[in-house]
Amino acid sequence: MILPYFQDVVRGVEEKLSEASAGQPVARKHLTLELARLGVRLFDGEHKVAWCGIATPYDLLAAMDVTPAFVEFVGASLSSTGMAGPMLDAAEQSGFSTDSCAYHRAVLAADEAGMMPHADLLVGTSLPCSGGLAVIEQIAHRHDWPLMLVHVPPEEGEAAQEYLADQFRAMAEFVGGRIGESLDPERLRRAVELSNQARDLLVEVYALAGAVPTPARRRDMVNMGITLALLFGREDGVAVARAYRDEFAAKLAERDPHLPREPIRLMWLQNRIQFRNPVEEILAEEHGALVVADELNDVWWEPLDPADPLPGMARRCLSTPLMLSARRRAERVVELARRYDVDAVINPCHWGCRQGTGTRGLVQGALQDHGIPVINLEVDCVDARQFAEGQIRTRLEAFVEMLLQRRTAGA
Amino acid sequence: MNVRSPRRVGFTCSYTPLALIHAAGFEPYRMLPLRNAPDQAGAVLHDNLCPEVKRVLDRRLAGDLPPLTGVVFANSCDAMRRLANAWSDLDLDGLSTLLDVPTVQDERAARYLAGCLDRLRDTLGDWAGEPVSDDALRASLDLYDRLFDGLAELGRRVGEGTFAGGRPTYQQWLNRAVCEAPEAVLTELTDALDSEENRALPGGDDVPLLVFGNVLPDPDAAALFEGCGARVVDDDLCSGSRQLTRVGEIGDRPALEALAAALMHRPLCARTMRHADGGALAAQVLGRVVESGARGAVAHVVKFCDPYLVRMPALRDAFRDAGVPLLVLEGDCTLRSLGQQRTRIEAFVEMLRESP
Repeated sequence: MILPYFQDVVRGVEEKLSEASAGQPVARKHLTLELARLGVRLFDGEHKVAWCGIATPYDLLAAMDVTPAFVEFVGASLSSTGMAGPMLDAAEQSGFSTDSCAYHRAVLAADEAGMMPHADLLVGTSLPCSGGLAVIEQIAHRHDWPLMLVHVPPEEGEAAQEYLADQFRAMAEFVGGRIGESLDPERLRRAVELSNQARDLLVEVYALAGAVPTPARRRDMVNMGITLALLFGREDGVAVARAYRDEFAAKLAERDPHLPREPIRLMWLQNRIQFRNPVEEILAEEHGALVVADELNDVWWEPLDPADPLPGMARRCLSTPLMLSARRRAERVVELARRYDVDAVINPCHWGCRQGTGTRGLVQGALQDHGIPVINLEVDCVDARQFAEGQIRTRLEAFVEMLLQRRTAGA
Repeated sequence: MNVRSPRRVGFTCSYTPLALIHAAGFEPYRMLPLRNAPDQAGAVLHDNLCPEVKRVLDRRLAGDLPPLTGVVFANSCDAMRRLANAWSDLDLDGLSTLLDVPTVQDERAARYLAGCLDRLRDTLGDWAGEPVSDDALRASLDLYDRLFDGLAELGRRVGEGTFAGGRPTYQQWLNRAVCEAPEAVLTELTDALDSEENRALPGGDDVPLLVFGNVLPDPDAAALFEGCGARVVDDDLCSGSRQLTRVGEIGDRPALEALAAALMHRPLCARTMRHADGGALAAQVLGRVVESGARGAVAHVVKFCDPYLVRMPALRDAFRDAGVPLLVLEGDCTLRSLGQQRTRIEAFVEMLRESP
């Protein structure tokens, strides 16, 4: 069921790309294509597959030719294709509480329904959330698949970095033992070089996307940073990042330099809503408010040392926004808000997420201290059944009105 | 007489190394989710966060906690980390720190934890104004081991039904052990265990039951189970038998290394895992059911506790496969929420009584 879906997407996007004329925006299609190809690799039974926690270093797995996916990727895919509803119904029937994260419930139900592909191994990570780790543990237990747990310290100090790098070293041994092939230092070096290339291109992409007005179309940047990480250490990851960089650079070079600023520029925190929903349309079409920045579309790490990459991978992991304390995370958001010149921030408080939503009040307080208004949307980013459009529309209208009044008062 | 109040350091999680706090000259004080402070935490922490965490913050915001020199949070789970963030951001007590406790139980984790404990030792030394000496630490570890043993003995006798006051009294002792000076509690506990007045005869038709889950510190909750005709013969609760950690013989090892190893070898709680053994928690609880002679188990799970929410279907399956009846109760740490389940508890106990 899922494999044919990804295969259809691959065929469809390849066709569209072959028909695209010069100058037509295609970067997003490249990302979609590579993620669909990743989906095919996950489900076709011909590749080594690892189900992972979000904090896993995917470039390390790429060096071992293992196809990785964080379990939430499947939850998001089910949601975006409208298949999450029946899965969530099934999960609830199986006894999973609706108080838990719907990304996780959807995955557990898909697994129960036999829709998840065979995993050669699983790597659970204790951050960003306890729930995600428990899901990985339960999937491994259910199938008796090999599991390694990685504890991600909630701090960025030297001891934490050493411990995490040490665990990544052990992870490479664990993976090697499962696939019957040790980590080849030369392949690791190459994967790290590719990872660094993608990183450098992303620095450019995000800088270009921050231009006023942004060259990005409404959906160009949705889920980009978090999903592109799955392609780190691979040529296709570099190609996607390059496609974005070239497209935005060309747009900015060609366009009228006197284009007006968007009436309202917004930043989105954490994950987007994964199912089809009218939030951005309401904002853009009815209020001229555009989401021009995403918290997770950012490069917060330094290039890795190809000769000794594990400490850098550990640093990258520990400094991921969702791993940080609420205060550190808020500081990062403030810095991004300034960089992107946004007027306000949208925080979708994904029901069931103790990690992101848990910081709602603390992040909001910190942003307001810097004069950045925040709207907290009480939504479930995966479960379309819970989406209350009328209520959200009213809140968005009131929020935009407040922003406009604020601007008038400021003027 | 001018009585000097003790210098207390607050904590929340049973992974907190109480002996280290004590060795620094502080009295550890567990900020239990008890009493009825008004709900103010919602302004800072989302509604979908663990009620234990929110009730602790409520207590602090309502001034319902004693003066604390500082607070040691443990990185138990997402919600506890958020509480630590809130405490620090709201500047509730000048001093607070987060102790990282690995989620994984292995030797690498124990080494890392020993390093974390070493840094905590420095922090506590700074708070105290003098370093924590090895001798003080060893003495405190010994004290807490004796307290652990005393409470274990009390728990055993309560389980047998041979200690007057039953489970509610046991819970009071457990709470005192983490909210009062441990030396005094140990002395009184030793006397209580020796006292003839506290001897009792087991009730005839009480149904032996095991309670497991996370936090259930209210003695009235224990009374509720007994009022439903059950005798709680054992527990696997963070506020019960898993509340303290026994370090045991240290020998030539550095004391912190021994403490880290003991913390890493504690019985599992929902947030701690073992590589390649996703059924370890269920096996642990089922083992205790068999060992204690319980005829069934009650899982008391705090609402929004992800590690339990995700594992509950598998736990149910494990209990079903083992033929052990299980009742799952979801609560918010208040007796009110548990009281609403009285009929279910009564029916469950009745069912156990009548089952062969």
